[in-house]
Amino acid sequence: MEDFLVWVVWVLAAAALLSSGIAVVLFSNPFFSALALIVNLASLAVLYLVLAAEFVAAAQVLVYAGAIVVMFLFVIAYLGGRADAPWAGGPTLQSVAAIVAAGAIAVEVVVVVALKAGDRLANAAEIPATFGSPSEIGRLFLGPHLLAFEVTSIVLLVAAVGGVILGTAVPREKRADGRP
Amino acid sequence: MIPAAWIALFAPLGGVLVIALLGQRISRFHAGLVASGSTLVSFVCSLIAFLALIDESPGERAHYSTLWTWLSAGDLEFGAEILVDPLSVFMMLVVSGVGFLILSYAVGYMHGDPEERRYHAYKALFVFSMLLLVQSGNLLLLLAGWGLVGLSSYLLINFWHIRATAVAAGKKAFVVNAVGDATFALALFLLIQRAGSLDFRAVFQEGIAEKSSAVAVLIALGLLGGAVAKSAQIPLHTWLPDAMEGPTPVSALIHAATMVTAGVYLIARTHVLFELAPDIQHLAGILGAITILVAGLIALVQTDIKRVIAYSTMSQIGYMFVAVGLGAYGAGLFHLMTHAFFKALLFMAAGIVIHALSDEQDIRRMGGLARRLPFTYRAFLVGALALAAVPPFAGFFSKDSILGSAANAGTLGWALWGAAALGALLTALYTFRLLFIVFWGELSAYAREHLHVPGFECGLAMAWPVGVLTILAAIGGFLQVPWGWTLVDDWLHPVAESAEEATGFTFTFSIVATTALALAGIALAWRIWARADPLPDRLRRRYPWAARTFEEKFYFDAAYDRAFYEPASRSAALALRYVEEPLFLRSLGELGRGARSLSGRLSAVQTGSVRSYVLALGAGAAVIALVFLLVS
Amino acid sequence: MAGPSVAAYLVVSVLLFATGAFGVLIRRSPLIILLALEIMLNAGNLALLAFSRHAGNGDGQIFALTVMVVAAAEAVVGLGLIVAVSRQRVELDVDKLTSLRG
Repeated sequence: MEDFLVWVVWVLAAAALLSSGIAVVLFSNPFFSALALIVNLASLAVLYLVLAAEFVAAAQVLVYAGAIVVMFLFVIAYLGGRADAPWAGGPTLQSVAAIVAAGAIAVEVVVVVALKAGDRLANAAEIPATFGSPSEIGRLFLGPHLLAFEVTSIVLLVAAVGGVILGTAVPREKRADGRP
Repeated sequence: MIPAAWIALFAPLGGVLVIALLGQRISRFHAGLVASGSTLVSFVCSLIAFLALIDESPGERAHYSTLWTWLSAGDLEFGAEILVDPLSVFMMLVVSGVGFLILSYAVGYMHGDPEERRYHAYKALFVFSMLLLVQSGNLLLLLAGWGLVGLSSYLLINFWHIRATAVAAGKKAFVVNAVGDATFALALFLLIQRAGSLDFRAVFQEGIAEKSSAVAVLIALGLLGGAVAKSAQIPLHTWLPDAMEGPTPVSALIHAATMVTAGVYLIARTHVLFELAPDIQHLAGILGAITILVAGLIALVQTDIKRVIAYSTMSQIGYMFVAVGLGAYGAGLFHLMTHAFFKALLFMAAGIVIHALSDEQDIRRMGGLARRLPFTYRAFLVGALALAAVPPFAGFFSKDSILGSAANAGTLGWALWGAAALGALLTALYTFRLLFIVFWGELSAYAREHLHVPGFECGLAMAWPVGVLTILAAIGGFLQVPWGWTLVDDWLHPVAESAEEATGFTFTFSIVATTALALAGIALAWRIWARADPLPDRLRRRYPWAARTFEEKFYFDAAYDRAFYEPASRSAALALRYVEEPLFLRSLGELGRGARSLSGRLSAVQTGSVRSYVLALGAGAAVIALVFLLVS
Repeated sequence: MAGPSVAAYLVVSVLLFATGAFGVLIRRSPLIILLALEIMLNAGNLALLAFSRHAGNGDGQIFALTVMVVAAAEAVVGLGLIVAVSRQRVELDVDKLTSLRG
């Protein structure tokens, strides 16, 4: 019974995931794309929960949906009408090639996975109850992966500084020939 | 004692670094103080080492000290090691002592020159190089010092690099020295092969090579080549007169007291190797004798005051070569020391004259300066008397030491004695010719116009070193007195045992004869030049070819030009026309054009559109994944 | 492991990744491209976590968290660029932003 419920949840979440992903990509109004992204992230969080990664799921909702998407929405609001992203135009060769490339990647990976690792993907390992809990994550971050932890803090600092600089750049006068 | 020796070595280098790093932040005068001060430190430390050595018994006076392993390649290991022994301390004292006096003089002489700081730094660098040369404990470090000395001399000779003649002179000095360096290096290669090391202890062992075997001869020949080039002996002497393009203190330091004596030091130091090839050792003496005569004759017709003194240096070093060629190391080094005193003195006095006449060096424009420059005249007179080996001045004792040894050395010794005695006549002749022309007689017209004497003849900075050297040139000879004591020989005995000097009648004859010749020379010079006798002009008319030969410096420069320079420049021109132009320059152009067109075509990929770039990325990733799939 | 095995997760992840890739390649607005990029990153995260669960090793979760941080940083910088570009009154069309060319 439990297993069945899990499967149902999984199928629903996966369906929501893929459809919202397509929606993000296909909407012409960026505001709708951002909203679809929120649905995407939420369904991902559900899948993470099924994968016993509770902390990551919480972080996903808090950081991604709660901060990054909000940032996107702020920018979309700031841009107003200029953010409209019509579909028209662009080289057709480009579009065809894009479809082919994306499709190729998808097919290849699936084929590789099926061919090469099929039998080894069957049996999952047993996991302790603390798997994915904040204490476990904390132990890993402060233990074997301390370097990654510190480096990410530097990355964030760099991004913050970059954002501030980009945001406060004073718009320069246009030169005589029109170039900025 | 060992730390003192290291400090003595590195103090001048420290001076260079200080001047170089502080640049314009210290005044020019202070730069000079730093340079001369560091040399003074060297001298004091050399004194300390000297006093420490005196305390020990003669047999123990050899201390090696290695600071770090400098080169290590396979089985070979060379350390940065110095040797503190009687010979090296002797040289250290001469180099740093006379060097200090000259550097102090230079502070006054170069006053006002726009690039004075560079000058003082180069001078200190030179002192460091020379100390490295004389203090090193293995032949490789000696070669390093040797090369550095060549470099410093090049830098100092073309110090006034705006003058084309100075630049040419610097290059000439460097190139001729390079010939010597090459032969030196070849000798070192042979030594490494025989001894597996270049440390003095390893190289001077018994049985390094058979006596008079081909290897021994080659090694000695190579070392001799280096010595001959560095000491400006025939046939590698052509650079020394041209080197007078440098400022006068440079001539005093490099071409009187130190660099040119490096060859003599080398032979004395490696005398073991020369004794294994007696023919080559005698060759050194023969070359020295030839140089004594040739240089003396050329000096008779020179009209530039510094060139006369330069040829005189060549001649005097010939004496030192005669000495070491006959195994009289003590005598040769004694003469090295006294020569440093009186030659530096002569150059410095000449420098004062040149300064006073606003940089005029042609003696035909000088005359009668004794009255206006009495102090300089007296200093020059003492130097000239010492050079001419008139007793009791310094040159007398050292030159007669050499001649005494020559008289005791068989047939070859007597031949060399004859040359040296004739050389004594010539020396007196040209030296006093110079003195009479420049200082005696009426004040020349040029001098009347241009003589510029502010108060005392020269600044204090120039006067006191001249004074000190005058005293040294006067009394320095008393270190080794015939029928008295032989301090220099005894001091150097453990390192280089000197050959026996003649005794008894032969010795007395030698001394009397040469002194008589010297006095005769002075008298002859007085007769001809003090009284403006027309004899020289008559001789010139009667024997024009002789005059020309002397004036053309025996055609050495012309011969070298024909033999080496012209073929080289002609083949270089040919190479330029037929090889460089069509092959390299044009092909470079073709390559450039090809690269440019290719890149033009390739740049079509850079559309600037992000999407196409990302597409390329994606397509590439797909392809790679496919390849992965197929390959694994 | 409750629910489907790793293979299913991987297939979903790949499809999501391909969707994101398609979006990056096909859209002309830099804003949408950024959104599609986020989708690609998330697809990667999903695969990481699936394998982490499969192997019972917590390292995959650490990696996924790090990826999230990097994605956040990249979003900051990308959005800053978009805002700066729009301030210059230049049209937000990737096909028109082509002055960096050879």
